Amino acid sequence: MATRSDRSRTAIGGFDWLTVALVLGGVLCLYYLAPLVSLFLSVPSTALLDALGDPAVVSAASTSLVSASVSTALATVFGLPLAYWLARSEARWKNAVLAIVVLPLVLPPTVSGLVLLTVIGPNAPIGAFAVATGMPLTRSLAGIVLAQTFVASPFVVVTGKAAFEGVDRTLEHASRSLGKGRWTTARRVTLPLAAPGILAGVTLVFARAMGEFGATVMVAYYPQTMPIEVWDAFLEGGLDGAYPVAIVLVVVSIAALVVLNTVASNPWE
Amino acid sequence: MLAISEVKKAYGAFDLGPIDLTVGTEVLSVLGPSGCGKTTLLSAIAGVVDPDAGTVTLNGTDLAGRSPEERGTVLVFQDGALFPHMTARENVAYAAASIDRVEELAATLEVGDVLDQRAATLSGGERQRVALARSLAADPDALLLDEPLANLDAPIKRRLRDELRPLLSSLSIPVLYVTHDQHEATAIGDRLAVMADGAIQQCNTPGEVFAHPATPFVASFTGSTNLFRARVAGTDENPTLEWADHELDAPDHESEVGETIEFCIRPEYVVVENGARERPNVLDGRVRRVVFEGDDYLVDVAPESTDDTIQVTLSPPVYDRLELADGERVRLSLPSDAIHVIGAGE
Repeated sequence: MATRSDRSRTAIGGFDWLTVALVLGGVLCLYYLAPLVSLFLSVPSTALLDALGDPAVVSAASTSLVSASVSTALATVFGLPLAYWLARSEARWKNAVLAIVVLPLVLPPTVSGLVLLTVIGPNAPIGAFAVATGMPLTRSLAGIVLAQTFVASPFVVVTGKAAFEGVDRTLEHASRSLGKGRWTTARRVTLPLAAPGILAGVTLVFARAMGEFGATVMVAYYPQTMPIEVWDAFLEGGLDGAYPVAIVLVVVSIAALVVLNTVASNPWE
Repeated sequence: MLAISEVKKAYGAFDLGPIDLTVGTEVLSVLGPSGCGKTTLLSAIAGVVDPDAGTVTLNGTDLAGRSPEERGTVLVFQDGALFPHMTARENVAYAAASIDRVEELAATLEVGDVLDQRAATLSGGERQRVALARSLAADPDALLLDEPLANLDAPIKRRLRDELRPLLSSLSIPVLYVTHDQHEATAIGDRLAVMADGAIQQCNTPGEVFAHPATPFVASFTGSTNLFRARVAGTDENPTLEWADHELDAPDHESEVGETIEFCIRPEYVVVENGARERPNVLDGRVRRVVFEGDDYLVDVAPESTDDTIQVTLSPPVYDRLELADGERVRLSLPSDAIHVIGAGE
């Protein structure tokens, strides 16, 4: 080992690539952190307290938390079985299915909102039917959930697929041959072993749903979620109006991530 | 009884079968090189892969269409396939009907001390012992072992191997024991099936397979390294072979005079002669190479009249007494009853 790292260090003219990588990565991390820190520094604490007391902000925060939770649950329930199928199937059209799953990730969110409106908008058959039953799919909590699920759910499928692929199939075969059926095998062998990866996916879905703006703005401007509340505050009061609300969103999002992360030991490993 | 009939499975360019095997309440070793289809055969029996054709019946029940958990066939894997998120105890209990059964099996396999350790912290030998305990906890109707000792260090491997034989026999169920190690196969199996290229080459008692290999592959894979082409010179009362300008007395075989056959003789049956007297089945040669294998010396001898090389196994005391050096002249005797004409005497 020692000789190998020595060689890589000396062979390229005394260039230490590890240091270079650290410097480049450090610049990137600073670029992530500096704006956040300066955001916190630029807002007087009184303005922050005012924002926390603003009923519109409180309502937006609760709308975001509720809708993101529901979206995450929906994405997990519908996405995990698909992730497992994608991980285990040898079907030739598997890649086509995977491409469909990744589609919302590559679509610009506003376009996602537009295409959703062609199905759930009040002028589309399904949307019109929903309006008729008194549960409209736009300008409603349901609309927010639909927009967030559309945009965020691919994360749990893609990450879950990788997590399931990391579980040795031999273990599943062993379990089955020991007399345990598919469900018991999934519950006691596959899911516990894939759990960290799955939780990482769930966390990503939740984070993406919390921050969802583009599709939500098209489908359900009201009731307002946090990102839309930030946008609204910006339009009304400029940067000074938007900053305190943005801080609340940042804090709520980070708190949610911490909670999700502590459910498992560390989903990122 | 486990009966495998006409089982076939194609994997791209590789074809398994058709395989026909019947395993009674015995241990049948399946010996073959890696990639010969041993694991695929076990997977087909266990229901982990669907065979393209053929039937597998266990105690009279056709297993076709049954999922792995409904078959009563339990697999034991090369690395144990213990569930890494569980302790050894939880692994055994996973399959066991009661806590008492876990303790009982832990005692049988001598893993009582490590029951509360995580699977990942166990040594290779402990892991296989726990895996065996777990497989027995499931009360198998047939046990399928896929190279369970392949990754173990030599002393642990030998010890576990010697414990396994009485344990597996005591189960009184069909046991299929897959391995690429001829010593393991013969030490554990009541019978031995040799596999190559997806087909069973020979199935018989280990002694019979080793003494009378049915094909050149079986001969070389079971250690009959001396495999030569010869012409049949005499049959019936005077069965002889013509090889390397020598006429060798051979056991009776069913070939015609003039036919070209292959014969083999195990290197441990070749005798280095001291006497100078000319006798049948004795030939002269020169030592070409000596390899010390630890237990034995392998001596390659080039007979004067042929390009073939005869390999002789000598125990260290014998080798030390003979003081053979490279290039030295030696006289070899090929005992006629140790010569086997391939395909004869099945």
